Parts: sequence; structure tokens; C-alpha cells
Amino acid sequence: MTPVITTRDICRYFGDDEDILVKAVDHVSIDIEPGEFTAVIGPSGSGKTTLLHLIGGLDNPTSGIVELSGTNIAQMSAAELSDFRRDHIGFIFQAYNLIPVLSAEENIEYIMLLQGIDAATRKQRVHNMLAQVGLDGLGRRRPNKLSGGQQQRVAIARAMASRPDIILADEPTANLDSRTGIALLDVMRELNEEHKMTFVFSTHDEKIMSRATRLIHMHDGEIEKDERK
Amino acid sequence: MLLLKLAIRNIFRQRRRSLLTALSMSGGYVLCAISFSVSEGSYNNAIRFFTLDHTGHVQIHKGNYLRRPKLHKTIDDPAALSETLDNNDNIEHHTLRVFAPALAYSDTDNTQVNVIGVDPTREKRTSRLAKKVTSGNYISDKVNPDSYYSAMIGTGIATSLNISIGDELILISQGADGSVANDIYIVGAIVGNKDSLDKSSVFLPLDAAQEFLSMQGKIHEVAILLKDESKSREFAASLQKQLPELSIDPWQIVEETFYMTMQADQQGMQAMLFIIIFIVFIGVLNTILMSVLERTREFGVLKAIGTRPKTIVSLITLETALLSMMSFFVGLVFAIPIIAWFAFVGIELPEPVDFGGVQLRFFTGEISTYVFATPLAWIMFFALLVCIPAGIRAGRILPTQAMGSH
Repeated sequence: MTPVITTRDICRYFGDDEDILVKAVDHVSIDIEPGEFTAVIGPSGSGKTTLLHLIGGLDNPTSGIVELSGTNIAQMSAAELSDFRRDHIGFIFQAYNLIPVLSAEENIEYIMLLQGIDAATRKQRVHNMLAQVGLDGLGRRRPNKLSGGQQQRVAIARAMASRPDIILADEPTANLDSRTGIALLDVMRELNEEHKMTFVFSTHDEKIMSRATRLIHMHDGEIEKDERK
Repeated sequence: MLLLKLAIRNIFRQRRRSLLTALSMSGGYVLCAISFSVSEGSYNNAIRFFTLDHTGHVQIHKGNYLRRPKLHKTIDDPAALSETLDNNDNIEHHTLRVFAPALAYSDTDNTQVNVIGVDPTREKRTSRLAKKVTSGNYISDKVNPDSYYSAMIGTGIATSLNISIGDELILISQGADGSVANDIYIVGAIVGNKDSLDKSSVFLPLDAAQEFLSMQGKIHEVAILLKDESKSREFAASLQKQLPELSIDPWQIVEETFYMTMQADQQGMQAMLFIIIFIVFIGVLNTILMSVLERTREFGVLKAIGTRPKTIVSLITLETALLSMMSFFVGLVFAIPIIAWFAFVGIELPEPVDFGGVQLRFFTGEISTYVFATPLAWIMFFALLVCIPAGIRAGRILPTQAMGSH
């Protein structure tokens, strides 16, 4: 099977001076197959978030290659990269990052609008996604009228509504209590199984890790261990 | 549509700040619109009084009479020309005139005068001459029982020659045929005051002036009043094609110095208003930049989830344009009654200003599309201009850095 994500020897260093050079990601090579539910784990500062940013094209590697669905994203222009992220990658952030002036429904609809999807399809998908993440009836609420867990569910719905190839989630449960966090991971797992969508998420929560089908252990920017369950 | 919704909600997100920005833009708009109204009003009043006083909107002469007037540079068939002009739908009225320098005598004194022969009926419709009569009766083309024509004289002549209504006035000049022209007239009216442009003028009925100057029905000038005064240049150009043997000039050429001075004054005024708007928009730029700075994280998220930089620039531009339009409508609510008051009531001057013998008692404004639309165009121009640095900043935001900011 062709990997949906391939990184070859990617490095991301911060700082120019050798004495203060921070090797956030150091020579990381991974292949992630379609439909995998992968957790990147490790302590704070191990390079999990930077790795997700590099995979998602939010940051450029100092060296190495990142390929998503066979496309080298380093060769894309800013606009091409925006379009690529819009069409192929769904993001779920630790701090939810919903657009505060838009309702839950509108937040979910936003990327589809950028994709040029017609209004009827958008409405249908928004309705379905809200039902799938358990937010039926809360679609018209703005983010400040939703709890943290509800906001993160909206963020999951937003990430999935555009039908991306990959969903990258950076510590999606870090701001939630453990019960809500596990419930949310269950939602993500269900969606992964139902839609065969590839999930890569970072976490340092051991309860969350147990839901993953693959664990990539990172330490000091390097992959320490890569295990499939 | 969602972009529009996003823009509107972002405007109302910081209500107080948006309100203050909108008020400063509205204030700038109101100030500009009123200034435009007042300046346009004064210029148009000046033009109206000037053109109605004697110039008309368009003038016809023979050859270069306008620049080098000579007695022999005449329009030889004024009747045919008059008929042509009477049949032109763009013309409200026109009048025929002759001019000549002369010496005027009373029993005791003499002075230099300008003789102006006018068609009493046509002149009354075309210029304000009849309204400038301060004493006596407006001239008639009929002779009195003693077979004398009546003349209207400026106050300067009345003072110099120490004559008044009913006195005799003797004029001596050179006729168009080279003969010595001399005749006696009865003062029928005094025109204007001591400051009037007409203070040294003697107005004779056209027939009397032509007879005095041996001009055999010829004239020097036709002054035309148009139905639409703003079309004077176009009308002059089109009439020139129709009458190539004559020189046809709009009032802007006839009174070139006045027109150029007015234009320079108008441009100075516009430059000053442009600076006021510019200063207003420095404040607006600050607000927009602040808003972009505050929303750095949000723009980072928008970019991360696939929003193109140009869409973010469009969003900022849309927000600014909407705020400007709202400001415009708020400004319009205040500007309309103020401008309407200036246009229909105006400020009564403590002392009337004499303008070529016409007394200006009110300082009025103008109410027109130009007055309302020009400041709006400037505001929109500056609004879009200030979006450039803000948009560039927002467009260049790096998602990873932006999402790390608070």
C-alpha cells in the first residue's frame, strides 16, 4: 500500500548559532499508511508538535522531504500549500482554534466554502458531522457558548467535513478533562474506522495512547520507537 | 457570503472601537461634504452672477475681437444669426451688443466712457442690466417726444459729469466709416453703484448705438444664456462647427483670468480637504493594523486550515470597505440637513457684497451628487489604501508563529 504520509530524513532546527541550536526534529523518517490511527507520543519538547506542523505544511523542514499522498509539499508556493491543506489535510488544535464570530455550523462549513462545495452539500455535511460528533441542536451556538469538549468536537467536525486524506491533531485532548478526552478520542476512532480516514495525533496522555493503533515515540526530536498494535 | 458575514461580525466584535473609527470617518466625510458644498456654492454663485451680469455662458464675435477689439470687426448679419440662435433648443436667451469708446460731455464737464449698445428687450432677458438700475427707467428703443434716445449711465459718469435723470448727455466718438460720431441723449437711468464694473459705461439702445457709430445694423457681440450652464464648453464647440466664420467661446475663455483664479482656488481647497481625509485615515490605518495584530492567531488558524493569503487580504479589505460605507451613511444623515440648510437658507452676510453691481446678501452652499459623491470616493480610496499594509501583514502571517501568539 502507498503511504499517505512519507517523511525522509526531515530535520527542523531553530537558531543559527551552533551553541544555541535547537534540534526540534532531527532526521525523522516515517511512513504512515492510509487509515492508520497513529499517536505521536513523548514528553513536552520532544518534537511532536513540530513534526505535525512539518507534516501538515505549516512549517518548512530545515532539510529532508515531506510527501503527502505522493506530493512533495516543500516545492509548493504559499497559495498552492494553502489549497493543498484545504483539500487534503484536516487540523485539530489543542486550543480548538474555532473562529469566534462564526457559529459551530458556520465553522464546520467554512472550509467547504473555500473548496467551492455547493450550499446543499455543505448543509447536509454540516448536519451529518454535528450528529456524528454528538452536537445535534448546538449548531447555531458560537464557540463561547460551548464547553471545551464541545468546541473540540466542532473542531473535529470542521477537520473532517472537508473530507481530507489525513487529519492531524495536536494534543487534541490536552485542554480537556480525562473523561471528555477519552470520549473525544472514541469519537475520532469511530470516524477513523467508519471513513477510513488517516489520523495522526500527538499526545502525552497514556490513557489516550491506548486508543491508537500505532505509537511513534519521540525523544529530543528523534524517533525512539515505532510500534504497531 | 460567509466572508461577508465574517466581515460584518468582525466589525461588530469590537463595537466601541468600530464606532470610534466610524465616527472619525463620518466626521471627515461630513466636514468634506460641507466644505465641498460651500466652496461649490460660492464658486457657482460667482459664476452665476458673473455670467448673468454680462458675460453670458457663450459669446460670439468676429475673428479675434475678444482679444483685440476693433470697431470694424463686426458680425455683419445679426438678424440671420439671431434667427439661428432662436431656433436652437439649448439656448435660453441671447442678446446683441456693440461697443465703442467715446468722450461724454455735460454742460460743464467731460469724461471718457464705454458706449455699449444693447437690444433692450433681449438684454433684459439675458443679463441683469435691468436689475442694476438704481434710479430712473430701463432704456427703451423708442425716442422721446423731442426725438432723443434715452441712455443709462454708470454712477461714475453721473458723478464726473454732474448729471442726473433727465439731463442731456453728449457723446463724441469715431464712426465705423471713419466719420466723427456725435449725438445728444437724455439720461434715463443710473446703473449700479460707485464700485460697479459699469461705473464708466453708457448703455444705449442698439439701434441708437448702431446709428451713432455708423454701423449699419452690424454688431460686435452676441451673449448667449444656455438652458444648462454646465454645457457651455460643449455647446460652444458644437456651435463653432455650425458657424465656422465666427469665433464662439464659452465663458471660461471669455473670462479666462477669473476662471483660472477660481480653478486655482478650488484646487487649493481640494488639496486641503485631501490632507484632512489623509489625517483621518492615519487614525483608521492605526485601528485596522491594531485589529490585524489582535487577530494574528485567528489569521494563523485561517491560513492553517487552507485560507489563501489573498482571501485574508480580501476579508480585511471587505471589513474596511463595509466600515467606510457605514460611516458614509452615518455621515450622510448629518451632512444632508446641514448642506440643505446651506443650499436653501445660507448665511446672511453682515454687509452685502457687491459683485459687478449685483448685491450678494447670502453665502450659500451647493447640493449636488458631486458634493456627496466626491468625499465618498476619497474615503473609499483611502480605506482601500490603508488595507494594503494591513493586508500585507495579515497575508504574510506564518500559521505556526501566529498560532503561538495570544
